[in-house]
Amino acid sequence: MSRISQRQIIAERSALIVITVLFLLPVAWLIATAYKPSNQIFSVPPRLDFTPTLDQFRSVMSYFDVASLTRSSLIISLGAAFLSLLLGVPAGYALARSRSRLANGVAYFFLAIRMVPAIAALIPFYLMMRDVGLLGSWWAVIIINTMLNCAFVTWMMFSYFRALPKDMEEAAMTDGCTQFGAFFKVAVPAARSGIIACILFCVMFSWNDFLYPMFLTKLDSKPLSVALLTAYGTKDITWGTLGALAHFSTVPIVLMALFLNRYFVQGATNGVQ
Amino acid sequence: MIKVFPTSLLCRASLVGVGFAALMASTTLAQGKPLAGVTLTLASQNDQFGAVLAKLAPKFKEDTGADLRVEILSYGELLTKTTADFIGDTKGYDLVTMDIVWAGQYAENGYSVDLTDWVARDAAELELDDIYPVILESLGQYDGRYVAFPFAAYANVLAYRKDLFEAAELAVPATMEDFVADAKALTDASKNQYGFVANGQMGPAVAQDWMQYNSQLGGSILGADGKPALNSPENVHSLAVYKELFADTAPPGAIEYDWGGREESFRQGLVAMMQTWSVGAPGYSDPAISNVVGKVGIAPAPVAAGMAPDYGVGGWGMAINADITPAQQEAAWTFIKWLVSKPIHKEFNLEGAGSFMRKSQMTDPDLLAKFDFLPVIAKTYENGNGEYRPRIPQYPELQDLLGTAVNSVLAGAEEPQAALDEAQAEAEELF
Amino acid sequence: MSQSGVIDQQDGALSQSRPARRRLPFFGSYTDNRRLFLFCLGAPAVLYVLLVGVWPLAQGVWYSFFDYNLLKPNRTKFVGLDNYVDIFADRSARQAILNTFQFTIFSVAIQLVLGFGLALLLWRDSRFNRICLAFLLIPATITPLVVGLIYKALLGADYGLIGYFLANAGIGPRTGLMTDGSTAPWTLILIDCWEWTPLMALILLAGLKSLPSDVLEAGQADGATSLQRFTMLIVPLMLPSIFLALVLRTMDAFRVFDTVYVTTGGGPNDATNTLMLLAVKEGLQFFNVGYASAIGNVTILFIAIMASVLIFCVRRADVRINGR
Repeated sequence: MSRISQRQIIAERSALIVITVLFLLPVAWLIATAYKPSNQIFSVPPRLDFTPTLDQFRSVMSYFDVASLTRSSLIISLGAAFLSLLLGVPAGYALARSRSRLANGVAYFFLAIRMVPAIAALIPFYLMMRDVGLLGSWWAVIIINTMLNCAFVTWMMFSYFRALPKDMEEAAMTDGCTQFGAFFKVAVPAARSGIIACILFCVMFSWNDFLYPMFLTKLDSKPLSVALLTAYGTKDITWGTLGALAHFSTVPIVLMALFLNRYFVQGATNGVQ
Repeated sequence: MIKVFPTSLLCRASLVGVGFAALMASTTLAQGKPLAGVTLTLASQNDQFGAVLAKLAPKFKEDTGADLRVEILSYGELLTKTTADFIGDTKGYDLVTMDIVWAGQYAENGYSVDLTDWVARDAAELELDDIYPVILESLGQYDGRYVAFPFAAYANVLAYRKDLFEAAELAVPATMEDFVADAKALTDASKNQYGFVANGQMGPAVAQDWMQYNSQLGGSILGADGKPALNSPENVHSLAVYKELFADTAPPGAIEYDWGGREESFRQGLVAMMQTWSVGAPGYSDPAISNVVGKVGIAPAPVAAGMAPDYGVGGWGMAINADITPAQQEAAWTFIKWLVSKPIHKEFNLEGAGSFMRKSQMTDPDLLAKFDFLPVIAKTYENGNGEYRPRIPQYPELQDLLGTAVNSVLAGAEEPQAALDEAQAEAEELF
Repeated sequence: MSQSGVIDQQDGALSQSRPARRRLPFFGSYTDNRRLFLFCLGAPAVLYVLLVGVWPLAQGVWYSFFDYNLLKPNRTKFVGLDNYVDIFADRSARQAILNTFQFTIFSVAIQLVLGFGLALLLWRDSRFNRICLAFLLIPATITPLVVGLIYKALLGADYGLIGYFLANAGIGPRTGLMTDGSTAPWTLILIDCWEWTPLMALILLAGLKSLPSDVLEAGQADGATSLQRFTMLIVPLMLPSIFLALVLRTMDAFRVFDTVYVTTGGGPNDATNTLMLLAVKEGLQFFNVGYASAIGNVTILFIAIMASVLIFCVRRADVRINGR
């Protein structure tokens, strides 16, 4: 990719800027509603200017226990991410290092599980949780999210470990390291960026999922994603409330994605090799 | 029978609970806080009353000693979560706000405590005579038994733009025929002004609004035998009128409106007339959310010429979860009695719950000063009809069928007769 | 494996008692010990997924043969394939199946084309491009429910920020993009593209970045035009990434629910009804477990068929183009 003219770069960059702005405008609109008085969110004809106010945040605080919602979101998404990695990373490693012809099939089985529509398993799972008495707790959501996430993690780590050269582990084992040591002290650190990408995807998925938690949680275990639903579907959609609530539910995840962006790319890169 | 599914309908040991309640009552009554240490969890619809319930919780604690925790939920969420709580026996909620159309399901499945005996026992304390009979019946009872107790009644009223009617020198419509004519007269698309608005979105939104107009035009969802009569000539006619109103007089986007879109279009000043629940009425004169402050009048909804006055009544009852312990049930009943008592319910409404249901509230000077449309509500309740949406166990399915049928007519995909014939055929399978 | 002897030494008695290099049917020249170790690492995840994932799904299959409604627990009876027959007999459901396919095929195809373009734009590794990519990924990180709500607000013809101007400029139906059976499905497809094209681009970009540079340079030295380079060199090498992107997005798109649920509710006149919408309505509103399970299973079946077709097509393309 040498000999690139300055003009081409400028053209590319302006195109990218335009595209990026187009993609971000709708998000900007939502974020802005949080600072608008309710009667200025819409107007005929639509206008962009408004008198800034913090009323929407006050209203959110009076409707929701935001601290409790955030706590539930954190517990569910971090808990599920942790368990998924605990299960998925070793499984991905095992599949990648196994020479069995079954290994590929099992890896595809995990990918397939990840693709199952949520509703298909929801009600049987609900009845299952009812029978073991976990309904309404964080555990119910963590358990189901761990299932979906660990399937994904296994698949991702399978691709990742497969792309890692075996030499290091083999050298370590030659030096007297146990098999587990070779996995845990050599392979896992080498796959660090893949693991971080997995955490990112897991947290994002659980944080945004609302169908399972809506069904499985109660007041104390309800996460932010479900509270977003509360702003909708009422006799009046309270757009300002939604915008303000999105500051808690969406902004953290966006910031996380922004700051850990390179792992995003790396995760995807290794997922395709 | 083959036992296919794990069913765990538990009979709960109630003796322990009763004993515990008695013990508590004897130790705490002396302090005037009979419910100290009790926590009640309430699942509330995200209507105006939801925030007010949460606001009143500290006062309830002050009066009785019990903690009240209010979880505000959207409509679909409330239905799904409370039903899941009932069938899962998870006792997540002690108190549940019940839309009047759920009464049939509650009664059939025994979700809630049958309050009939308690209401009879505490009739004097509840001042039942002060509550409109139509409200007691349609917001609380099913087949003569109380599945819930009314706490938030809504009247279907006509909200109209005084300024537009004056400018056009029209009188507020008293009949549906006038309503249609006025809607047409007041529509001027070039000025972005429309005569009428109602819900058009596929699903519950369009079904519920059409059922309202249908009743005012002389139609009925169920026949005299209690079986569905969706394709009766009256219903087909009313659907044709509804379609005509949408095509000629509604804002273009109305076919996609649910309650939120409909109300917003009115508050934006696009629309001259809208039938709506009285609960939204105070909002039109609230400058924080409305762009039509001071221009809105509230009148009784029109009915077809020659029909006896018959106005839509809806709203919410408070139900007690049947799965919770008797002690909790008693505490929940105490809350209901507290909430509907004259002074608290007045305060509830003064705070903006929009849930008027007592006769005394209609003439209360404090309330009148704030809500000048109370006489209209009184008139509506006096001739109220809470049955225009059949409160039977099959209601959700009926509403779904109608939601699809009416929407397809509005979308121009089907003729009223054909759409209702099809819905009728499917509805009959439910009975 | 040259290390098998080493492993035997350190892991003691178990492996010493057996031949060090026995060939096993599945595990090649690994020792039993290595096999056992890898099995222990992999087994928990497999077991977990079987218990928490496959078991409920199997129950779902079982339920789908019953007239089973959680609200009417006493009315449970075996009905064989009736629930499945009902799906295909019901006009709304048939429409939903068609809609779901239309939605999936078009949104994924558009995303692939746009995503590829975007990925090529972002290919050059610079700080500027990395920052752009990070911002572009924001739509994919937002709760899909909220995405639907944003567009519901923006596209309304009467007071929506975009819809108002479109409707008044005569672009699309006067009643708004979501209100007309001919435009509503396409609007939802566009929303999906807004949400997911950047992610598609990300996966493809990752593929581009892993292309061997010598091949590309060879192409340049041959004096190939950019178009030739693209079709003859880049696309064939990119097949694995394209495959992954297609499979992931196809399966996600086929399960579309949130955005439709909050924007059109399936209307107007079922024009945007989808299988998931139907399943959620039957399952979570009516608690009609038998029927909802049947819809879920039909969806899974369709997804499996599409994945197989995709895998088949990519394999064939791979064989034809790359000869492997």
